[in-house]
Amino acid sequence: MTDLLDIRGLTLGFRGLNGYTEVLHGIDLSIARGERVALVGESGSGKSVTARIILGLLQETRTARVAGRVNFDGRDISSMRARPRAALRGTDMSMIFQDPTSSLNPTFTIGRQFAEVMRRREAGLSQKACEARATAMLEEVSIPDPARVLSAYPFQLSGGMNQRVMIAMALVNNPKLLLADEPGTALDVSVQAQTLTLMQDLVARHNTAVLLISHNLGVVREFADRVYVIYRGRIVETGPTAAIFDRPGHAYTRALMAAVPRITGAGLPEVPEVSDDFLAPMVTHPEAT
Amino acid sequence: MSSVFRILLRRLGISVIVLIGVSMLIFAIARVIPGDPARIALGPNATAEQVAAIRTEMHLDEPIVAQYGHFVTDVLRGDLGTSLYTNRPVTQDIVEFLPATLELVIFAGLLMVALGLPLGILAARHRARWPDHVVRVLTLLTVSAPSFVWAVILMLVFAFYLPLFPVAGRIDDSYEIARVTGFLTVDTLIAGRFDAFLDVLHHLVLPAVALALSGIGQAARLTRANMVETYDKPYIEMAQAYGFAPGRIARRYAFKPSLIPSLTIIGLDFAAMLGNAFLVEAVFAWPGLSRYGVAVILRKDLNAIMGTVLVIALTFLIINIIVDLLIAFLNPRIRHSTRAAT
Repeated sequence: MTDLLDIRGLTLGFRGLNGYTEVLHGIDLSIARGERVALVGESGSGKSVTARIILGLLQETRTARVAGRVNFDGRDISSMRARPRAALRGTDMSMIFQDPTSSLNPTFTIGRQFAEVMRRREAGLSQKACEARATAMLEEVSIPDPARVLSAYPFQLSGGMNQRVMIAMALVNNPKLLLADEPGTALDVSVQAQTLTLMQDLVARHNTAVLLISHNLGVVREFADRVYVIYRGRIVETGPTAAIFDRPGHAYTRALMAAVPRITGAGLPEVPEVSDDFLAPMVTHPEAT
Repeated sequence: MSSVFRILLRRLGISVIVLIGVSMLIFAIARVIPGDPARIALGPNATAEQVAAIRTEMHLDEPIVAQYGHFVTDVLRGDLGTSLYTNRPVTQDIVEFLPATLELVIFAGLLMVALGLPLGILAARHRARWPDHVVRVLTLLTVSAPSFVWAVILMLVFAFYLPLFPVAGRIDDSYEIARVTGFLTVDTLIAGRFDAFLDVLHHLVLPAVALALSGIGQAARLTRANMVETYDKPYIEMAQAYGFAPGRIARRYAFKPSLIPSLTIIGLDFAAMLGNAFLVEAVFAWPGLSRYGVAVILRKDLNAIMGTVLVIALTFLIINIIVDLLIAFLNPRIRHSTRAAT
């Protein structure tokens, strides 16, 4: 069976006042069905724009120039028109954002927003059916009192609660691919850990493939089957999670790992801001068989 | 819903305080204007005895606090005194002239909302593209001239050079419509005269558009500005990530949160139309309260001036209460926080 997502030679540039600026220089990335893949890199490395290209959001920006192939579920999204591409969003693929509370609309109840999302899949779904399915989904993310949450507004719930709501909402239509852009970075570390565990259980149960975008190596190590390390618009290292963490082959990956302050305390790590080694060719670890 | 009721109660309480302030101000202004009200009332040929008699009748010989007391009790009984201009009770004048003005202002307000908000949504949805540029230029044009200028221009163009609309008045003289509410749009329908109803609408178009134009521009620009800001919010990106159609995102997801900050100003614009109506009514010979107000001010008709100002203040307060309730209805944060606040 072919991969669920297969990206080949993806480039992205923006046309601005100073001419054309390329920010992605040919990305190759693939995700198998049900696989959990992480895309790791510092801010500005191009990880978030990659997710937005997969969703087809950036293609709709006038100044963006996207080239390369993006195959999703056997179809080439890059050559698709805006309308069929939009039809995939919220149904076959969905996304979880950094800050759950500000990502939910402040003027609608959770229940209302849930219903809108579910009607992306089944337009004529009745109010009652929406409620029933949303309740079941909220129970799945261990929300103790679904009825209360459904009638609440986002500002009435805690950040952790909203995060659960967002995860539930992202999975309610049984998407094939879930894009998680720094999920819960805006939350406390403990809440972040809880929701991550929750997400892990859920995607395993629904057999959803995940592209986790993160700069947090700890999160990546626990969550992902496979890792891509991205630096300045290029993939610099890729391979199974264990292999990369055991034997980081690329200078940038090693710097990234060294940059995490130890909980045992050894002072702030010293990381060079730029190094010629970071531009070394990509290191590929063989797939574990 | 009980919290909305609470907001209503609180606003009503504040309104009473404002009204007391307004009544004091009106009363004070009436007393500091030069000229003896008794003399003005009687005219230049009155004798000293007549003046003394009317001074007692008007309580002008009593201390000022007592005079204010009389004024307030009279107003509460609905007695605003007699107008020197029309020689009728001021209350009766207001009942006669207010509906014409309200009809004009309400239609202008509807135009402002019905045209201004969609134009703002259109511009924000296509921001930095041609629909946005067109809307921004047009609305800048409409807000940069006062309504009486638009009244004259519209009258010249659409009633004089191109006689598409009547030049003045509320209804053609040939129609005889029994007065029920004073709102001709309502009265003609009550009378079952649809032709007269259409004629009333025909007369309403130019004055209402003249009065509304700057408000339309203001509402559109405000809506656009607030929506452009909303478009940068994460929840809009989330809506896009869920594949909702751009039009739906504009109308539902971006518009509603953006309307909340605009609404207060739109409400104030609506109330300000009452003031602008003074000039528009003058241009279109509209027999409304504003024209009455101008006439009585020029004649120093104190009772009528006080009555007019009081009614306009009251209308302002009512509009503000309605706006506050609308905001509470739209913004769950306000609706749900009053319980904790009160």
